[in-house]
Amino acid sequence: MSKDSGNSTSKGLMWKLLKKHISPSQLVGFSLASLIGLTIVILAVQFHQDVRPIFNDEESFIRKDYLIITKAVSTAGTLLGGKSDFSPEAIADIEAQPWCRKVGKFSSNDYSLYATLGVGGIGGRAMGTMLFFESIPTEFIDVADRDWRFDPDKPEIPVIMSRDYLSLYNFGFAASQGLPQVSEGIVSSVPLEFTLRGNGNYDTLRGRIVGFSNRLNTIVVPEEFMQWSNKRYGSGLDRAPSRLIVEVNSPGDVKMQEYLSEHGYQVAGDKMQQGKAQYFLNLIVTIVIIVGIIISLLSFFVLMLSIYLLLQKNTKKLQDLLLLGYSPAQVSRTYISMVAAINAGVLVISVIIMLVARSCYLPTLKALGTNGGTIVIALAVAVIIMALITAGNIVAIKRKINALWIHNA
Amino acid sequence: MNIISLHNTLPAVFAGRPDTGSEIWLRDVSFERGKHYLISAESGTGKSSLCSYIYGYRTDYSGTIAFDGNDIKSMSIAQWCEVRTHHIAYLAQEMRLFPELTALENIELKNSITHHKTRQQIVAMMERLGIGEKVDSPVAKLSIGQQQRVAIVRTLCQPCDFILLDEPVSHLDDANNAIVAQMVSEEASRQGAGIISTSVGNNVKINVIKEFKL
Repeated sequence: MSKDSGNSTSKGLMWKLLKKHISPSQLVGFSLASLIGLTIVILAVQFHQDVRPIFNDEESFIRKDYLIITKAVSTAGTLLGGKSDFSPEAIADIEAQPWCRKVGKFSSNDYSLYATLGVGGIGGRAMGTMLFFESIPTEFIDVADRDWRFDPDKPEIPVIMSRDYLSLYNFGFAASQGLPQVSEGIVSSVPLEFTLRGNGNYDTLRGRIVGFSNRLNTIVVPEEFMQWSNKRYGSGLDRAPSRLIVEVNSPGDVKMQEYLSEHGYQVAGDKMQQGKAQYFLNLIVTIVIIVGIIISLLSFFVLMLSIYLLLQKNTKKLQDLLLLGYSPAQVSRTYISMVAAINAGVLVISVIIMLVARSCYLPTLKALGTNGGTIVIALAVAVIIMALITAGNIVAIKRKINALWIHNA
Repeated sequence: MNIISLHNTLPAVFAGRPDTGSEIWLRDVSFERGKHYLISAESGTGKSSLCSYIYGYRTDYSGTIAFDGNDIKSMSIAQWCEVRTHHIAYLAQEMRLFPELTALENIELKNSITHHKTRQQIVAMMERLGIGEKVDSPVAKLSIGQQQRVAIVRTLCQPCDFILLDEPVSHLDDANNAIVAQMVSEEASRQGAGIISTSVGNNVKINVIKEFKL
């Protein structure tokens, strides 16, 4: 008799012996509970992954968790000539706050600037306007290096513009004046010229819009251009910044809000509202995940109980197998394969349910402007949870069977 | 394995009792490979306990039991599995067959981990013991005497240094007793194994070099 056929004989006989007392209803109960728990957990994780871009990643070139703060401008301040810029002490105080990671200063142009959109000479309508630039440290901007730089020898000015400005033009100005509305794509491709004047210098430079921002309520140019241009056209005076960009731990932080209102600082845009919404999203997802984990844990105990009962009922058989010379590992293999097969089945079905559910809500998310996040994390969570549950089952089975080894009265 | 030795061994339940004159308990006893022994006893003197100590599934005794001088209480589970498949062939008094399996399946359950006999050899042994037509019958449907013969065939399906038989023929008639004795002796001499059998009166008819009174 060959060894292989011997092994398959023993496996078949072992299964014939040990399947007795297996309760299908208990196993179905476990599988369902486990399926529900695991599906809730991974669906919550996946939903969180899919929804997060709505809050965080609308602008790939500005990383998340930044606030732009200004001082409130009061009527009295305007009349009395009060300053709305940030003193070095005020900046240092903000930097010292626990919710603050990093502070960047806005610098603005110190010369006259005129922008022309479109080329006037070739039949088209050129629009021109007085304009301003601001810059923030490059580390706050996430545009690929080659797009976000300035070379005085080949001067072309990359610009990030507030999306509000485009909306203002499209829905306010263009609509009322009968002008054509323009898309972001068109604006980016229209030739842009900037005329810079001051300090006895006068130049016209080409510009290029590299992106639109909801968060930066301004027109931003690279800091190296700002330094170069202020030196060439500016008055040479050092001015305190009137706007700060602050990297924070969490935009919804209550302490931070208290601090800002106490000092009369204003936050540009609705980042704090989004921060709150995100806070609640995180809270709800956490609660759902905890519920899912509790269900998974309960199902785990149902299976453990079921296995213990099974082993208890089969105690004599298991002991007799050990007396024949079967090792505890060989004896437990039957039950371990059964548990592993059930858990693998639950894992696969759970992932399928998650993917189907996801395909139901993805169209809604697409309408909100995101294609969803990665499914890798949810899959990893599913595999890890099932691996842990299976490992727990295996350890319990092995311990229980090892405990049958000695029969002392 | 060449020698099973007992030194001052006593079941825990007998602790504190006066010396009953046993030739096993509280003595120095050795069983050697290749030799045949009979342990005769009255019921309740610890005969099955002795077998369960030697086979490693009970440890409730004082004193020492050793294989080739090594205390068996220090053996690992893996070592015991090796002993149970390669060194000691054991027939329990209660037989420990699986009633839901057929006679042949019961035997194959053992043989599939030892690969000691072919199916033809197994069937031939069953025929010799008069249970050839019971090969495919569930053990639950066999008489106790037939079950005992199935258990004996299963016991012989492994390489061994000792054959340990706990009342092997308690349910067999003289004719079957003689066949069992012959088969066990043949297997033992083929492997050079020792035989230790116990009895409460109906001895298996094997020539022994020493009989111990328990």
